[in-house]
Amino acid sequence: MISELISKDDRFQEILERLNRKSVEDYYNPYRMFDWPDSLPEHQWWMSPELTTTFGTDVAPELDREQLYRLSRYESINFYSLNVDGIRELIVEVTRRIHTRGFEIPSEFFHHFIGEENEHMWFFAEFCLRYGKKIYRQLEPAGQGNTWSDEAASFLVFVRILLFEELVDHFNSTMAADERLHDTIRAVNRIHHQDESRHIAFGRELVSLLFKDLQAKASEEELRRVREYLKRYLNYSFESLFNPQVYRDAGIPEPFAVRRRLLASPRSAEFQLQVFRKPLNYLIKTGILQDRELSLSRASVGQGEA
Amino acid sequence: MPSKTSSNVDAVRNWLLAKHPERTSIAPDEDLIGSRLVDSLSFVEFVLTVEEASGVEIDHEAIDLADFRTLEAIERKYF
Repeated sequence: MISELISKDDRFQEILERLNRKSVEDYYNPYRMFDWPDSLPEHQWWMSPELTTTFGTDVAPELDREQLYRLSRYESINFYSLNVDGIRELIVEVTRRIHTRGFEIPSEFFHHFIGEENEHMWFFAEFCLRYGKKIYRQLEPAGQGNTWSDEAASFLVFVRILLFEELVDHFNSTMAADERLHDTIRAVNRIHHQDESRHIAFGRELVSLLFKDLQAKASEEELRRVREYLKRYLNYSFESLFNPQVYRDAGIPEPFAVRRRLLASPRSAEFQLQVFRKPLNYLIKTGILQDRELSLSRASVGQGEA
Repeated sequence: MPSKTSSNVDAVRNWLLAKHPERTSIAPDEDLIGSRLVDSLSFVEFVLTVEEASGVEIDHEAIDLADFRTLEAIERKYF
């Protein structure tokens, strides 16, 4: 049982206490935190160009500077929209578990987590609506899933949350430091990066414990399916950065064909490894994954489903 | 919905077959979700494939799973 593992783990409990304290000490009013100018200058980068999906591919030279700026604008709105949708899932799943059996000890942190995530969702949505006049709604995964054991289900929920936060943090930390970007853009990314560093620290500890619990109970076959699912999830979340609606809004012809070209580009495979460098190191170190081979999972459907 | 020939829905079938090399055919009334030809993680790519092949912009917030369950249903709704 996970509660036993948690209650025996002094290190986990110390980290939890430290993170709880930090959440209280660092608490801020997000509604007063930012300057929201009426508009942001259009003829400049809204997202670090290195983080845009065409960077380093053979599509980029086909676009002029203004098109690249426009693309960075819509890709940034897509990125913040991904946050809005991702946070919704994360709040729902953590709320489902707070103060339930097994999660007694981390429940106090869950209060901070849910509260902070709600605030992040607000400022990301505010940015999208104010400067992009829309939130891109992501298609929700639908269809049947395999039935997982309780241990596998909880593990997968928290590892998904962690991977999502790590993906986002790669973008946040890059953009917070990028002097080519407007101050408001840098501030939104900086504040989120600060809060998320706590959430990621917590997530890594909890996921490691949940994996130990899973390993002790799961069959080799279930572990294989979990690993297969995780690799597919890493591809799925990376591919959500490539949104055909964004290419359409940026005025790029044949958005679906462009998306396919970009995903097939060798640069995208490199970009994916950059985005997931830290979480992949973590997944390998903890034994959750046994290798970094992600491309093999791209083609397979119907394996390790959730 | 615009009415077109079935050649477009073939693009959807071909996408599914490419993802499932063990299969050589898919019947128009086969349950794509029940048979796991489409699962939760491939659903998004699948909808994008239908969107491209049909030329119909699909409202991502108004997806009815029944419209994606068989090739027949997809053809009826989107082609």
